Amino acid sequence: MTVITPTKNDGAIGVSAPMTEVPPEQTLDPAAFEMFAPGSGLNGQFLADTLSAFLAHEQCGVHLYRTVAGASENPVLQGKYRQFLAQTEQHVAVLERLISALGGNPYYVSPTARLVHAMNTGMLQGVVLAAGSAEPLVRELAMLEAVLLAETKDHADWSFLGELVDHVPDGQVRQALAAAVQEVEPEEDDHVGWAKDMWRKMSMLQARSTMTMKIADFTEKAMATLKNTVTGGG
Amino acid sequence: MFNPLEHKGLPIEQQTRSWNDLNVEPYAKRAIHPYSRSRIILMNGIEVEAILFSHQFARHTDNPDVRQKLATSRRIEAQQQKAINWLSPGDETPLETTIGYEQVAIDLTAWLARNEPDPYIKQTFDFGLLEDFDHLYRYANLYELISGERAEELTQDLTEIMPGRPTAVEHRHPVDDLRRHYDRHTVDPLTRLHVMTLVAGEQQTMNFYMNHGPDFMEPVARGLYLEIAQIEEQHVTQYESLLDPVESWFEQLVHHEYNECYLYHSFLSEETDDRLRRLWELHLDMELGQLQVACDLLRTYNGIDPEEILPPALPQPTRFQENKEYVRDVLAGQIDLRTVGPDYVPIEQLPEDSASLRYQDQVNGDGIPSEAVIDQARADGGEYRRELLGTHPIDWLRQPAHG
Repeated sequence: MTVITPTKNDGAIGVSAPMTEVPPEQTLDPAAFEMFAPGSGLNGQFLADTLSAFLAHEQCGVHLYRTVAGASENPVLQGKYRQFLAQTEQHVAVLERLISALGGNPYYVSPTARLVHAMNTGMLQGVVLAAGSAEPLVRELAMLEAVLLAETKDHADWSFLGELVDHVPDGQVRQALAAAVQEVEPEEDDHVGWAKDMWRKMSMLQARSTMTMKIADFTEKAMATLKNTVTGGG
Repeated sequence: MFNPLEHKGLPIEQQTRSWNDLNVEPYAKRAIHPYSRSRIILMNGIEVEAILFSHQFARHTDNPDVRQKLATSRRIEAQQQKAINWLSPGDETPLETTIGYEQVAIDLTAWLARNEPDPYIKQTFDFGLLEDFDHLYRYANLYELISGERAEELTQDLTEIMPGRPTAVEHRHPVDDLRRHYDRHTVDPLTRLHVMTLVAGEQQTMNFYMNHGPDFMEPVARGLYLEIAQIEEQHVTQYESLLDPVESWFEQLVHHEYNECYLYHSFLSEETDDRLRRLWELHLDMELGQLQVACDLLRTYNGIDPEEILPPALPQPTRFQENKEYVRDVLAGQIDLRTVGPDYVPIEQLPEDSASLRYQDQVNGDGIPSEAVIDQARADGGEYRRELLGTHPIDWLRQPAHG
């Protein structure tokens, strides 16, 4: 079953760090790193920690898309966010399966994953906690910018895995990596491409708007124009 | 099995009470059960923490919806705090309240330690326990010195009164009070509740001592409050450092409300005072309503379903019970424990250049109020102890022979 926030109830495990204490019964046995991605010639600990971080980023992506889909006032953007949400949930499942296939535990939350989670939390909190500072269209753009940033990193993660396949000898690890990348990377291309393009269009729209236009008028007109832009209407 | 998420509770818009409702009849200080007073003291601290946390959160957002919901819940939390703290009678002196605070600190910390699943967190609780245990002894002696009364009339012998880790050696360099924190992913739900409860309890104790210390005329009392207030600051530093800092504001809000539900639910079932039981019942119903609001904020602004981060049911309840034997066991085994950074070490492993030893030299250099109060008690007819299970388990802490 896909887990979006691993907890003790789900069987989450981790490792202690300079300022983090994990109970012994929930501490990952270091020997597990040596058995991760066997026969691949890769650094098992780095790969296990990094895949855990990639999974954390996808899990945070689910939280991000739930939030922006609920907060967006534009039905077109909402629809896109919901589509990406469903796909991101699938990406979580793909990564869970990949980690299991490589001999790991998908409920292992690495120190790297904790930092990724902290960064994502900070970004999302920035968007929602300062929402009172901006007009609706500015908030809409900020949410889209958060999506663009998240998808840019997401895309980098999957590109890295795609490149990694070329460095792994034939075998079970290579097959598992290649299958996951094949399943997810096209959607990641789509996500980052859409986010980049939409952010550019929305920003351009505002940059070319009449300077003297009142904010309220501008917002109303811009939202209508934006809707037409993304739906291809006249 | 009680899952707070399955209960709507009292809707927030129906929670406002009148001044008359809040200006409750105080308890009789000699008649109330010590553990009923303990529950009052603790829940006051819990509500104070809820208010302070909400204020901090509000200072980090201009989102109008979030601010409005925080302000609305916070106003109710503030009313709850009044309804609880106004149970304290006017004839209960700050020193008598202080003895109640230390009884809470001992029997709460001991219970939490006995039931704490994480060994490092349990060690931290045991470590703090011996220090609060010593504070009760020092304040009890002050009580007899300046009031001529005996602390057992308040504690009713549910808690022993004798030295713990001497207050004079509790003073540590700030870096030796910082602990490793739990991980939000691997933490047992009970551990999180335990830590949040102790942070709130110790914070309230710190606030009380730092504000009431100057109420006294007697230099020995002013000195003792000053010194122990600084230890309570250390304890807040210690316990709050156990909290995972990567939880978002919204997650923290949910956990605060959840902990309030947990504690009111715990105390509802063990309260022996009918009037208080009705208050805990009402407040549980209110907290369930506030939890709903917090969960809605978590869903809306973090995209997190509360079920993702909360257990399917409340863990085992927290109880106020006697812990005399447990405290003695911890005394016998851990009296000489010290800290180096986040780690616990026997005193003989403390480095010669320990920052805490240097700090102790600085603060204790011109006299130690916590020792002075015992010296004065001895000079005034003998120190006060209530060793109910026999002589002190540590040789060098046994009462010196007279003459």
